[in-house]
Amino acid sequence: MGRYIIRRILQAIPLLFLVSIFMFTLIHLMPGGPDQVLFNPHLSPASRAAMRARFGLDDPIPIQYLKWLGNALTGNFGFSFGTNQPVSEVLQERFPATLELFITGLSLALILAITLGTISAVRQGTITDYTLTVISYIGICTPIFLFGLFAQYIFGVLLHWLPTSGMETLGYNLDPFDAFIDHLQHLILPMLVLSITFIAGWSRYMRSSMIEVVKQDYMRTARAKGVGPVKQLVGHALRNAVIPLITVVALDFGSVAGGATITEGVFAWPGMGLLFFQSLEIRDYPVLLAMLLLGAVFVIGFNLIADILYAVMDPRIRYS
Amino acid sequence: MDISEHLGTSQTQEDVEPFLELTTELVQKRRSQARIIFDRFIRNRAAVVGACALICMFLFCFVGPYIWRANPNAIPLKIPLTGPDASLAPPSWQHPFGTDDVARDEMARAMVGGQTSLLVGLMSMLMAIVLGVGIGAFAGYYGGIIDNILMRFTDIVLSVPLYLLLFVLSVAFSDGSPRSVIILIAMLGWTYAARLVRGEYLALKEREFVLASRTIGAKNLRLMFRHILPNAAGPIIVNATLLVGTNIILESILSYFGFGIQPPTASWGSMIGTGNSFFDADPWLIFFPGLLIFITVLSFNLVGDGLRDALDPYMTER
Repeated sequence: MGRYIIRRILQAIPLLFLVSIFMFTLIHLMPGGPDQVLFNPHLSPASRAAMRARFGLDDPIPIQYLKWLGNALTGNFGFSFGTNQPVSEVLQERFPATLELFITGLSLALILAITLGTISAVRQGTITDYTLTVISYIGICTPIFLFGLFAQYIFGVLLHWLPTSGMETLGYNLDPFDAFIDHLQHLILPMLVLSITFIAGWSRYMRSSMIEVVKQDYMRTARAKGVGPVKQLVGHALRNAVIPLITVVALDFGSVAGGATITEGVFAWPGMGLLFFQSLEIRDYPVLLAMLLLGAVFVIGFNLIADILYAVMDPRIRYS
Repeated sequence: MDISEHLGTSQTQEDVEPFLELTTELVQKRRSQARIIFDRFIRNRAAVVGACALICMFLFCFVGPYIWRANPNAIPLKIPLTGPDASLAPPSWQHPFGTDDVARDEMARAMVGGQTSLLVGLMSMLMAIVLGVGIGAFAGYYGGIIDNILMRFTDIVLSVPLYLLLFVLSVAFSDGSPRSVIILIAMLGWTYAARLVRGEYLALKEREFVLASRTIGAKNLRLMFRHILPNAAGPIIVNATLLVGTNIILESILSYFGFGIQPPTASWGSMIGTGNSFFDADPWLIFFPGLLIFITVLSFNLVGDGLRDALDPYMTER
């Protein structure tokens, strides 16, 4: 197992290099680079050239890449074109907000997906099952931003229950407790919207794997021993039924990240997703590159974690 | 050539019939493969509903404009302040979907926008499938170094979160025309098909029929696309159907954030993007295109699931 993990990590490193080359080229292909978007349009050609040299944009792209790579390997991802801060600082500023949205949304999605999937499996073929199936189809077939818009309209515009954008109410000096409540109110809608698509997809997986597990012989044994229905599900069936789901969740990591980006865009949640849109607008190459690579690191990492978890939770699976 | 002719016996179809009727199972009328699949598909109620909804959607978008003759693009010269012809008017008999911010008929725009969205979904699916099948076939058939290079390339595309890559690509390459959006979405959609086809090819290339055709002198390309490909058709068709829905969603997300199809060309996504600014005053501007996207994607998914069941060779015919 240890050797397997080490081999997989060693395989991931060249992949990351390839991704970085690919992304670097792609980003530098974007029209309207910093000299058109960022620099003062009234600059003389001479000072424009000087600015380009200052940003290191006058080298050929392969040289720029090697310079960037050399710095990146020492942990220096350059300076943001927009704010002139180091990229790592910019990302650190935005990371907590995204992490918060991510963890709450993901937890909610997991809890609800497991619960609804189990209910649907136990009540297979009943009206409850069909209703949940229809609802999850709705969740799968609707673009995530539409949920965001309708949530904003219903809870914000019509009902006036919840704020529709941002992370806190501006212009008020709230005491810590009220500020916390205010923060929670802002979190609810983005969190719900982010989780809906995944609840829909994952509860389907949960349902089918639960149906498989309930048919197993050891479940019949448990019933024969007189184990109660709840204990049967929670104590005997759940662990085995959750295994396929866990891998799917880990493999879906990239789409959760993408979903979070879109949710942040819709709700103006000031995390990395919003930063991504802002950086894209001003062609902030260093920040964009760092974010794309961070995304790739997470996706590759979680794919690996999925494989490992699979083996840890199911002793029948052996990697060599 | 018939064997019975060689043997000199004149055994015609009528002579064979009574034999077949001895067992009850064989009384059943012989059906072609396509017929069996079609019959299975028809029995899946959800899939049939999906297929019918798709037919209606295509009629709505492509035939609708010939019946509903409101101009989708021309801005009226005189816009009344109130009434059904005013801007941002709610649904009425004159304008079943209401009007947009410059008093254009929203239903006519939904029809034209639907043409764009469906076209983008279908064409990008076709391109992605051709690309995916090509790459997967070469990787799976040749194996070794070709397989390694192609699959590392697939890994690169898969390892960056899809939406982020999509936005960056659209800024880098898209000029806002439907054609560029089609290419853009296809450049990201082929990965799953490639992996699928590769897996099928790895299994199929070891089978006897491939060896048999190789023995009689079939070349590699002929083996790959004439002999092996038809055997891998089922999963590819299912994937293609589901991909149309995914692509329509991707198009709507791109256009909503302003990276996709640019005005004046309407698509369902860009209609939602425009309607977003007037959401408080007129939620209908988002509701109708959203509903159409939902129905279309749902139908493609239902049909895809139905096809998956119908094409599954392990599902026994009852």
